[in-house]
Amino acid sequence: MNRYLYDGTAEGLLSAVARILSEEADPDQVTLAERENTFFEEGIYLATDTAAAEEFFSRLQQQAAEAVYTFYYFTMTEREGMETSMLRYLALAMQHGNKVNGYLTHTAVKEIVTVSRKAGRELHRMKGLLRFEKLRDGAYLAKMEPDNNIIHPLALHFSKRLRAEDWFIYDVRRRTAARWHRGTLSLGAIEQFTAPQMSEEEQAVQELWKTFFGTIAIPERRNPRLQKSNMPMKYWKYLTEKQGK
Amino acid sequence: METLAKLQILSGAARYDASCASSGCRREGNPYSTGNTSQSGICHSWSDDGRCISLLKILLSNDCIYDCAYCVNRTSNPVERASFEAREVVELTMEFYRRNYIEGLFLSSAVMKSPDQTMERMVSVVEMLRTEERFGGYIHLKIIPGSSPELVRRAGFYADRISVNIELPSQESLKRLAPQKEKHSILEPMTLIGRQIGENLVERRSSRKAPKFAPAGQSTQMIVGASPESDFQILRLSQGLYRKMNLKRVYYSAFVPVNQDNRLPVLAAPPLLREHRLYQADWLLRFYGFTAEEILSDDMPNLDESFDPKTAWALRHPEFYPVEINRADYATLLRVPGIGVTSARRIIAARRFSVITPEGLKKIGVVMKRAKYFITCSGRPFEKQGRSALLLRNRFLLGDGSGAQFGESPKQLVLPGLFI
Repeated sequence: MNRYLYDGTAEGLLSAVARILSEEADPDQVTLAERENTFFEEGIYLATDTAAAEEFFSRLQQQAAEAVYTFYYFTMTEREGMETSMLRYLALAMQHGNKVNGYLTHTAVKEIVTVSRKAGRELHRMKGLLRFEKLRDGAYLAKMEPDNNIIHPLALHFSKRLRAEDWFIYDVRRRTAARWHRGTLSLGAIEQFTAPQMSEEEQAVQELWKTFFGTIAIPERRNPRLQKSNMPMKYWKYLTEKQGK
Repeated sequence: METLAKLQILSGAARYDASCASSGCRREGNPYSTGNTSQSGICHSWSDDGRCISLLKILLSNDCIYDCAYCVNRTSNPVERASFEAREVVELTMEFYRRNYIEGLFLSSAVMKSPDQTMERMVSVVEMLRTEERFGGYIHLKIIPGSSPELVRRAGFYADRISVNIELPSQESLKRLAPQKEKHSILEPMTLIGRQIGENLVERRSSRKAPKFAPAGQSTQMIVGASPESDFQILRLSQGLYRKMNLKRVYYSAFVPVNQDNRLPVLAAPPLLREHRLYQADWLLRFYGFTAEEILSDDMPNLDESFDPKTAWALRHPEFYPVEINRADYATLLRVPGIGVTSARRIIAARRFSVITPEGLKKIGVVMKRAKYFITCSGRPFEKQGRSALLLRNRFLLGDGSGAQFGESPKQLVLPGLFI
């Protein structure tokens, strides 16, 4: 039983999977893990081969477009130690095509699909829970700390929705930002973040929203538990309506 | 009056409308406008009562000429009155939307001078949003019963969803509690909307440029518990609305006693459990292939409080079970308590790869705690089959028959285990 290693990047993972699937007689018997570069580490290191990764990716896209989405969401979860499951999953995707996500009784498929779904769910949630504030220069800024690295697809969503505005989305934990400026989207790292000045009307609009949030609830139906289960408290930090409470 | 004060009054007056959906249609944004809509809808927050906030839900005015017994805005109530200017609603919507507080606008209103005068003003707000601001987000517009067909048509071309509230599920109750409303003034616009949506679909099939009429469909709301109708009557009405008028949703709103009125029942609290059971039954009608007559009957006109309606049906029909997981078709799987739409689809999909084992069923996400009494897996049962319905009833009431004691009321024991 061979143990393979790769460099920990998404590209490296794809190229390693491509090589294992083409060279191993029985891919179900091997394992794949991220290289940790310790002295005693055992295994065969597969260097990242960009061309091989790209070639495999386009084949996957043709054979099983669903699996590409699953892989994409999987990389957003930044989950470690699941490479072997991903290897098995991708092997099955090549074999069964788009139907692979229905093979939930298979342990690897179940694991990968479950984890990917978490990122998908948080992405959807954040489309609703992200809050923009208007800055002095007229642009909008939103801060967030999601569990998954969803900034790219999230920014794509807002680039279709708030096209006429200029805005930033800042992932506080990962120190990455997305910027929409004059109809162009760019992504990058932020070394140092200084809180910019708010526009003059910002406070008043926030008050209006807080007022609405307060009065729209029916007092006779108060149900904080339901509220928390739908909107976990970890997201409250940047919610305008939950500030100053 | 300041916008803030108006917002407080007019959102407080709108909160008894249960509808909040922003789903059902997809509109791409364009470079010169703000906003788009997403097929699945997006919730933006959850208020202190746990209900989702998706739309800016407000009344244009709470200054009503009607005197409906159940309504907080009735003319005889000494509440503070306010009305928005069209511009104020437009500004609020745009400011909230740009900050991603909301998915769009839900606009309703009290009847100010007449249905047509009110409807005219509501339509002009939405018109301003769509044409002046080029707002592409979601708009749900209430139709005031008795509005003219021309206004209903205009409303449908600006809004994504339009709805007429039935509020009371029978003509007698309407007469007694909302004497100024009439059945035909509610049903006529509903029929018109249903027909218009149908015609529009045909038009759009032949020409992609044809304007969309209420692309997210029509919905309605009924108040539960303010009048004596049984659950059976309510469900049959919903069933008729889904079948004949092509409604997307019927909302049920547990009656919250906001007025002192001897025509109204005295309730200690809103009938939330009843509302919940009605929603479960409504889901059975729309997604599980049940009919109202299967769920309830004249002899048993109300939903069981202790069991969800599907479990109740299963307990009354032991001859239907056990269901063989590896062979049963989709419709049959859906009748198993503990298997919902998602699990049933997943079972069908997974069967293409291999035989499903009990282990696999758990991976798929079937609620085994309930399903195990009703299924076999490759011919093997999980529990001794053919238990008497009475024994099963008791098992369910106790959660799992694991020796828990009956409390004061069985309701409280049942709730946590039996909800999905």
